[in-house]
Amino acid sequence: MSIPKEAYEALQSIVGPEWVSDDPAVRIADTKGGYATGVVDVNAVPPGISIQPETGEEIQQIIKIANRYRLPFIPTSTFFSAMCAPTIDDVIMIDLKRMTQLEINEKDLYAVVGPGISHSMLQAELFKRGLMTFVPTCGAQSSVLANLVHCGDAVIGWRFGLGYRRVLAVEWVLPNGDLLKLGSRSYLKDYFWGEGPGPDLRALMRGNEGHEGGLGTITKIGVKIFPFIPEKLEPKGVSPRTTLKLPENRMKWYNVTMPTREVAVDFMYELGRCEIGLLVSSIPPLFRYVARSRGKGAAGFWENWKKFGENADKNLMDIRVLCFGWTSEKQLAYEEKVLLDVVAEFGGTASAGPATDESNFQSADAVCSWFIGGRFLSEVYFESLDCGLHTEKGVRELARLRTPPLADTWDTPMLWAPYEFGHMGKQESLNYVDDKEIDALRAHEQACREMDLKIGGYAIMEDTRMFGKAWHNYDQWMKKLKATFDPNNLSNPPKPLERLLYEE
Amino acid sequence: MMITLENLRHDANGCIRCSNCKWVDHIYMKSARFARICPITQKHAFNLYSAPGLMYSALAIMDNGIRFTPALLDALYKCTSCGACDVRCKRNLDPEILSVIEALKAKAVEVGAGPMAEHRAVAKNIETTHNRYSAPHADRLNWLTEDIKPSVKADILYFVGCAASYADPSIARATARTLLSAGTDFMVSTDETCCGHLLYSTGQFDAFKRQAERNIKMLEQSGAKTVLLSCAEGYKTWKVDYPKILGKSTSDMNYNVVHITEHVDTLLKSGHVTFTKQVPLKVTYHDPCNLGRLSEPWYHWEGTYERYGVPNPVKHFRRDGHAGVYEPPRNILKSIPGIELVEMERMKENAWCCGGGSGAELAFPEFASWAASERIGEAKETGAEAIVTSCPVCKQLFQRTAKENQTNMKTYDMAEIIEKALP
Amino acid sequence: MGMKEDLAAIVGVENVSADAEELKLYSKDYSVSMPSMPNYVARPKNVEEIQNIVKLANRTQIPLIPCSSSIHFNGAALPVQGGIMVDLRKMNRILNIDIRNRAIRIEPGVTWTQLQDELDRHDLMALNPLFAHPLKSALSGSLEREPMLIPKFEYGDPILNLEVVLPNGDLMRSGSSCTVGFPDNAADGVNPQGPGIDWVKLFQGAQGTMGIVTWMIVKAEVKPKVNKTFFMPFERIDQAIEPIYRIQKNMIGSECLLLNRVNLAAILAEKWPGDFSFLREILPPWTLILILAGGWRRPEERIEYEEEALNRITMELGIPEAHTSLKGAPGLEKKLPGMLRNAWPSEKVYWKFGYKGSCQDIYFHTVLSKAPDFTEIVTEPVAANGYPLDEIGIYIQPLERGRACHFECNFYYNPQDTKTANRIHNLYVEAAETLINNGAFFTRPYGPVANMVYDKAASYTAALKKTKHWLDPNNVMAPGRLCF
Ligand SMILES: Cc1cc2nc3c(=O)[nH]c(=O)nc-3n(C[C@H](O)[C@H](O)[C@@H](O)COP(=O)(O)OP(=O)(O)OC[C@H]3O[C@@H](n4cnc5c(N)ncnc54)[C@H](O)[C@@H]3O)c2cc1C
Ligand code: SF4
Ligand code: SF4
Repeated sequence: MSIPKEAYEALQSIVGPEWVSDDPAVRIADTKGGYATGVVDVNAVPPGISIQPETGEEIQQIIKIANRYRLPFIPTSTFFSAMCAPTIDDVIMIDLKRMTQLEINEKDLYAVVGPGISHSMLQAELFKRGLMTFVPTCGAQSSVLANLVHCGDAVIGWRFGLGYRRVLAVEWVLPNGDLLKLGSRSYLKDYFWGEGPGPDLRALMRGNEGHEGGLGTITKIGVKIFPFIPEKLEPKGVSPRTTLKLPENRMKWYNVTMPTREVAVDFMYELGRCEIGLLVSSIPPLFRYVARSRGKGAAGFWENWKKFGENADKNLMDIRVLCFGWTSEKQLAYEEKVLLDVVAEFGGTASAGPATDESNFQSADAVCSWFIGGRFLSEVYFESLDCGLHTEKGVRELARLRTPPLADTWDTPMLWAPYEFGHMGKQESLNYVDDKEIDALRAHEQACREMDLKIGGYAIMEDTRMFGKAWHNYDQWMKKLKATFDPNNLSNPPKPLERLLYEE
Repeated sequence: MMITLENLRHDANGCIRCSNCKWVDHIYMKSARFARICPITQKHAFNLYSAPGLMYSALAIMDNGIRFTPALLDALYKCTSCGACDVRCKRNLDPEILSVIEALKAKAVEVGAGPMAEHRAVAKNIETTHNRYSAPHADRLNWLTEDIKPSVKADILYFVGCAASYADPSIARATARTLLSAGTDFMVSTDETCCGHLLYSTGQFDAFKRQAERNIKMLEQSGAKTVLLSCAEGYKTWKVDYPKILGKSTSDMNYNVVHITEHVDTLLKSGHVTFTKQVPLKVTYHDPCNLGRLSEPWYHWEGTYERYGVPNPVKHFRRDGHAGVYEPPRNILKSIPGIELVEMERMKENAWCCGGGSGAELAFPEFASWAASERIGEAKETGAEAIVTSCPVCKQLFQRTAKENQTNMKTYDMAEIIEKALP
Repeated sequence: MGMKEDLAAIVGVENVSADAEELKLYSKDYSVSMPSMPNYVARPKNVEEIQNIVKLANRTQIPLIPCSSSIHFNGAALPVQGGIMVDLRKMNRILNIDIRNRAIRIEPGVTWTQLQDELDRHDLMALNPLFAHPLKSALSGSLEREPMLIPKFEYGDPILNLEVVLPNGDLMRSGSSCTVGFPDNAADGVNPQGPGIDWVKLFQGAQGTMGIVTWMIVKAEVKPKVNKTFFMPFERIDQAIEPIYRIQKNMIGSECLLLNRVNLAAILAEKWPGDFSFLREILPPWTLILILAGGWRRPEERIEYEEEALNRITMELGIPEAHTSLKGAPGLEKKLPGMLRNAWPSEKVYWKFGYKGSCQDIYFHTVLSKAPDFTEIVTEPVAANGYPLDEIGIYIQPLERGRACHFECNFYYNPQDTKTANRIHNLYVEAAETLINNGAFFTRPYGPVANMVYDKAASYTAALKKTKHWLDPNNVMAPGRLCF
């Protein structure tokens, strides 16, 4: 099958001929995304057409055409997530890069963004105004909108909570082309509030992860922004060693080491009770080694990692805390004192870290996860910190059974990102294999999911087929929801149901 | 390893579509308006028009998934090989993105799909008249004036390049006068022929190799040990592309390459040059890609990739934009009395390409003007009266565009500014 | 078998009633909504019973109206189309206190008082709204998004997860509480996302139309041991706005709210009506209340730097320093933190009832900078309906760092006086209309306001209807409410 000529021409008339293409090279370039590429996107096929709308109205029209000709469509923003890779023929790829609407409401602490605005763009504009946002680990290049509606994980969650709860009012073109306006946008011009009227339909926008284009296209959102200090963060260095210099009178990193994971978890809970810190997270030795080897090539990494692993104390857990003098310099002093009290009480050690940042404010580098070669998958659990102890142990034991071929993590701790002052937390394990051993990675993932079902760890990249029945038949509800809002099954089918692209 | 697509499969495959190469280093991003770094992405938005798009195309071409389609050729030859993507990618990763783009252009030429007609015409000019303009070879030194008398033999050979020799002799004269004024002994050669930059950057590798060999031979015969250039393209060609096409490293070559800004900067520091004349001008400096991020020495590597993609032998180098010629021109401008240097948001390794490089201006003049307009707009934001650059292509394009847009932004070559400040 | 028998078979005969006297209790509330009688009341004791009731309702197409509190203010628990009241007050257990995660799992019948008392024993506190009625369910209050008094947390509502009987009788648990074996598995039920969608958000603000929540996990926070109360008096509301923005942007303080003198007097009056009249005279027109709360550790030091910042703000704005006591209310500064962190004491007449016996609230969200305009805008319909302007109570609650605010007007009236009650009804409707037309955002549209809002929000209404149909094709859950 191919895209009917009339459909093509209709699309051209919506956005202008230069913004639609079925050129094979254009299509091939829209086939692959980033996350777990080579592992989860092996069934990807080129779309039938790529189209670049500039406004929500254009998207409505495009989707109406798609419905008229029964053509599937997938919205993509930065397309870093492999989840929007087409796996069926004749897909219309709706590339939202040109939608760079950006308004900032300084007073009321929200911005309005189109999907073409990256985290770094927003941050650059906010810093100018003494405000701030945050950058997720996947990087500042990702679209604020797509990231928050899709995932939105960042260590900012320690103080500012779940990423997607930063989304305020929403404009959303449903799978039938109707425009849905949520929250204060439902009947006002403003984007300052996301709930209601009545039940909050942002509920349908996502669960643990977004609907991945399976329920239409979100074209604009209000997004929370945050007050910042008057001091500026100064960029320093030449690529690849660039960094932001932090004002030392207001911000100070501490690297804390705790004797065991259990104590580390207790420690994070206690910090939560104290309500201090802008960020608290535990970055695993693996990530730190990867980041440190950045610029030195894969060979350097593996050599160092082996050396490290052979002598590593597998129990130690490191936690980074960014003390912050939001209110004043005195607040910073207060936070430091409290932190050091707690560290001492829990038998840990703390040392001040360099006053720089590359990973949270304006740039982040999960991308460097690739440069050490091979392929990887991460197992992400999102529950309590205590629960993280169980899931981490489970994943570690399962990984051990497959190591090798899985790369050795030396049983060292994985990533921990507590949210909302410890009310909840993310725990993520990364496993690598060489390109030729991807099956082992998939088998590991499957084993992790099975473990998860058993112990109740709450994996966030769940798949309805595996978890639906166990989790109160939510798959059935999702199926009905999809049929309700996407009766022609055109919006990135079968999303948001099945997620994994490599299975039948 | 020769620059062929097959040899670079690992690199093309190393792209994970993070899209970082579409933006300036986020840490240096100062506004949403000047956030982008890849001109073709900014203009066309389709992912094809970007490094990842070209990587996927390269893989598909190798695997016979696609041919050189009109869109691919459009993207490929609008791509100015500015190398921004390469630098941005290497902030996190390792692949030789720019080499893949170059090899893809070469592949296009090899299968007869590329280059664009305008580029073929230039190749023909070079073949027949040894310069890109089809001007008489005999006129190459016509820029010399009464007051400029280079030595017959010297350690330094000033390789003037086609642009300064024929199209914009003021650059050549300013350079020569600067050298004379600083007491630098230099020679020029009547056997100079086009450096071949355009041939290399449009994928016409065979013709380029001939130019490389011809010019290297000319240098050997001249007896000079150092090639001095006032032109960014020539600089990068001698320093990077000649060794690259010959399967060597820059350090394997029997000559040194120095840019006039580097030379003057050294003399400034050693006190052999002082600027005495006032040049009352508020300027901004435009880093030409070829003098900035692309000018790092080339390292030849041949080997295989083992488990986890670990290269064997290990690569002990990394061309990632950290060692471009960024400071010398700035030092010079800051040393000139009267000059106020204000920086654009995108600078050094994050500079926005003028849009004219690698033959883009010849084949796609409108696209090039658009890219140049973006840059002029950025320069205007700084409050500067003039853009200073070190590349005749940039200069000429900025001047043309400013005229077209009826803006009063002036453009000068570094050599011209230096000349104004000399005693 | 008749419906009553069917219900009795499910919940036990002693927990069903069709007795008119008893049903009457459910037929009206403290709102201006029209009374309406249910046909039955059933008092389930557990989730299975609820599921069976819901299935029965689907079989028989009879409406179900869940209710959790013994007192209602918004008309949201009135059986507008009759049906079965599902009275959940028998389910009033605190199922679990999770001190480490600072979370507590409660059943619908748990009142704010009960919740705070329990948390208090563990040095924790719930994020309650302003002086909730002691009989009010904490679960339904949270579901209804009653605003918390503390804007310092970015999370504007305390719900973590919930268990709900869906309109077809199926059970759903939100977030990580959906995991197999919960709560006896590794999960603590603290991740509210998923599965598939954000169920929690869907049931909030639903006024019982989307299902029956059987338990809820809500956040608790550390209860500050040291507090310092500040009062900032203002002649005009617009003078209070910039200070609130600054305080919030400087990240200081815990509870922070703005009250006009009518409301503050109603809250502070011990003896009616004497105290009230006196206080109304002497209190400043507007009072901003700010509690600086000491941290879990080094509490005094936290208060110290926050107080310094507060002084800096007042200095920068050229306004008087915040007072540490309130004229006319000696000793209030000491009592207030404790008062704010509790429901209204049951032994005292409820603050909204002291003046005239009842009170009609109208509230919406806006941005702080527009709050002064709304105090003006509302006067027109108020005056038009003969309500004295100087008797409007106003409460402004900054939300989430001052990103927005909950704007509430309270109209005190005597419910026995039918004429006034009718006027208040008119006032309510007209005020809502005027406010909506001037950009007030009614996130919780009750009674007649729902129609006004949904008429304007066409796309939202359409999607909401689809969503409702997805969950409740037979429309058994609280029909006649919202836009259903
Ligand atoms: C190594 C790595 C690490 C990561 N780490 C993190 C992390 O730390 N935190 C985090 O939050 N995420 C992370 N991610 C996940 C993901 O890549 C990001 O959330 C982000 O890139 C999504 O933004 P995008 O613009 O790339 O979205 P896209 O890839 O374009 O889209 C993501 C999904 O949302 C859909 N979509 C896109 N735009 C719209 C729209 N406007 N309306 C409706 N649906 C839309 C797409 O169809 C797709 O399914 C990581 C990914 C990788 C590869
Ligand atoms: S070329 Fe490099 S920076 Fe660009 S998308 Fe690919 S991996 Fe990312
Ligand atoms: S070389 Fe320049 S123009 Fe070409 S893809 Fe890279 S950044 Fe874009």
